[in-house]
Amino acid sequence: MNDAVAASASFAGLTAIKAAPLVLAALGGVLCERSGVVNVALEGQLAAGAFAAVAVAGATGNPLLGLVAGAFAGAALGLVLGVAATRFAADQIVAGMGLNVFALGACAFGVALVFGHPGASSEVPALGNAGEAALIVAALAAAAGLHALLYATPLGLRLRACGENPAAVRDAGLDPARLRALACAAGGALAGLGGVFLALAELDLYSDGMTAGRGFIALAAVIFGGWTPLGATAAAVAFGALSALQYLLQRSGIPSELMQALPYLAALAALAGLTGRARAPQADGLPETSRLD
Amino acid sequence: MKRGAWLPALVLVLAGAGATLLAGANPLNAAVELLRGALGGPQPLAETLVQTASLLFPALAVAFALRAGFFNIGADGQAVAGGLAAGLAGAAWPGAGTAALLAALAAGTLAGGAWGALAGALRGRFGGSEVIATLMLNVLAGLLASYLLGGPLRAPGATGPETAALPESAWLPVLLPDSRLTLALPLALALAVALQFVLTRTVYGFELRAAGKAPEVARRAGVDLGSLAFGTLTLSGAIAGLGGATIVTGILHRFDPALSPGYGFIGIAVALVGGLEPLGVVLAAFAFAILQSGSLTMQAFAHVPKDVVALLEGLAILTLASRRALVARAPAR
Repeated sequence: MNDAVAASASFAGLTAIKAAPLVLAALGGVLCERSGVVNVALEGQLAAGAFAAVAVAGATGNPLLGLVAGAFAGAALGLVLGVAATRFAADQIVAGMGLNVFALGACAFGVALVFGHPGASSEVPALGNAGEAALIVAALAAAAGLHALLYATPLGLRLRACGENPAAVRDAGLDPARLRALACAAGGALAGLGGVFLALAELDLYSDGMTAGRGFIALAAVIFGGWTPLGATAAAVAFGALSALQYLLQRSGIPSELMQALPYLAALAALAGLTGRARAPQADGLPETSRLD
Repeated sequence: MKRGAWLPALVLVLAGAGATLLAGANPLNAAVELLRGALGGPQPLAETLVQTASLLFPALAVAFALRAGFFNIGADGQAVAGGLAAGLAGAAWPGAGTAALLAALAAGTLAGGAWGALAGALRGRFGGSEVIATLMLNVLAGLLASYLLGGPLRAPGATGPETAALPESAWLPVLLPDSRLTLALPLALALAVALQFVLTRTVYGFELRAAGKAPEVARRAGVDLGSLAFGTLTLSGAIAGLGGATIVTGILHRFDPALSPGYGFIGIAVALVGGLEPLGVVLAAFAFAILQSGSLTMQAFAHVPKDVVALLEGLAILTLASRRALVARAPAR
């Protein structure tokens, strides 16, 4: 009995740890996509957040400064995506993939320069258990906050309008390009915080490839969650639980690849319309100058 | 170079110089070491040509689909599917001689095509985004290979997810002694010529380009966009799958899940720099291969971390993402 209690407590704890970065990145993706910019660069934003956090925490000895730096690094990449997608009329997918390649390359380059040995950083002062718990709570609070922002404030209405019909936003006298860039920067900051969690809460270092495709799992959560904050959060928590289950079921004979594959299969099913009528914002991926009727 | 290409070029030169200065090296010296590592002698040149072939298959796959307005960012997954099939087929009949090589290449092409067809069906039948589908299928290909080779298809004595070693008769013939330069390069070049022919001289190629430029016009002129999506993404996957098969039969001589380390993503940059024209893509692949194959020499002798190359490749994709450089991509539903 006690074993069962202990096992479920450790399962819940492990789920929270595995889910928190996915939730943060998925919320960043939702914010970006609701404003009409497809964000395939979540992976790069996670890596940038993780690396910047470790570099600054290592240099200053203060993990909180690292946290701020990680959020800023994610926001900077988000802003580049937003500005490229609007002012420079870039194809959002191409720009996002470019940012991924750039960010992963820049982080690997940075590790080699800052820490003097390629591949991984040294151990740096981390946030500790209290910081980890605080970030987990903050991730859930961010879900509620983003839900409130999008559905209960004028700014949220405007952001969603940019994703559904940017021409109408322009007609209302607002600048959809600016709103989209803002949403991308804020979404990037959230994803950057996801990277901070990986580097300074779950671990205390940066290593190349540590994001291990979590940005793409978060993107799957955005889609499976129907492009809503609460749906994406629920999906990210479920995907985190799958990841925690892998540790618990290591010797059960269930192939771990199957559980790793489930998030991606779920996203494909959602794309094929097998999970109901959730759909992407109408102008998701389209330039803010497009007119939809 | 196309008009307007000077700005991305300037950004890249400045970023490259800045990064090497940051690393405390002389940019000119770094560039010289990079070129020496890639082109200084027959062996380095052969290795650069090996990289050219490896990049050319995914780049042609991306460029071909993008001409129709479909974005295949799953060339890596298709190469894994193709490489796995090639590794299994090539090792299945040890006494078959050259037939084993042909079987491996054919199996790789088919498997890559099947992997692309999954995304094509999702786009063509259900209107789902092929971008997200190919991205998800990238990961799924790796997981499938890892599951099959760890369990049902485990090779005797294998320590990791790899197939049995291919018999020498199933290896792609080497063109230059003591190098890894194989028939893969002429094969890739022939493929580029064939794709150029398909694009410019066939009805299918015309419909494909029409759908890429103006999908609504093509639809009203009677082009079935759903079938076009399915066919084009299948073909694109087959090209990438053949690439994976050439890496297995030409370089690794067995399947290894890491056979396509990001070539599919770099292939996007190669395709864009090549202006989505097969022959332009060939030149662009050679240019990127110089970066790839010279980077280790640069790291060793100019002390600039080789990852600067990935940084620059990412910037290249970003600066070339301008919509004006691309065909009008038809949005998924």
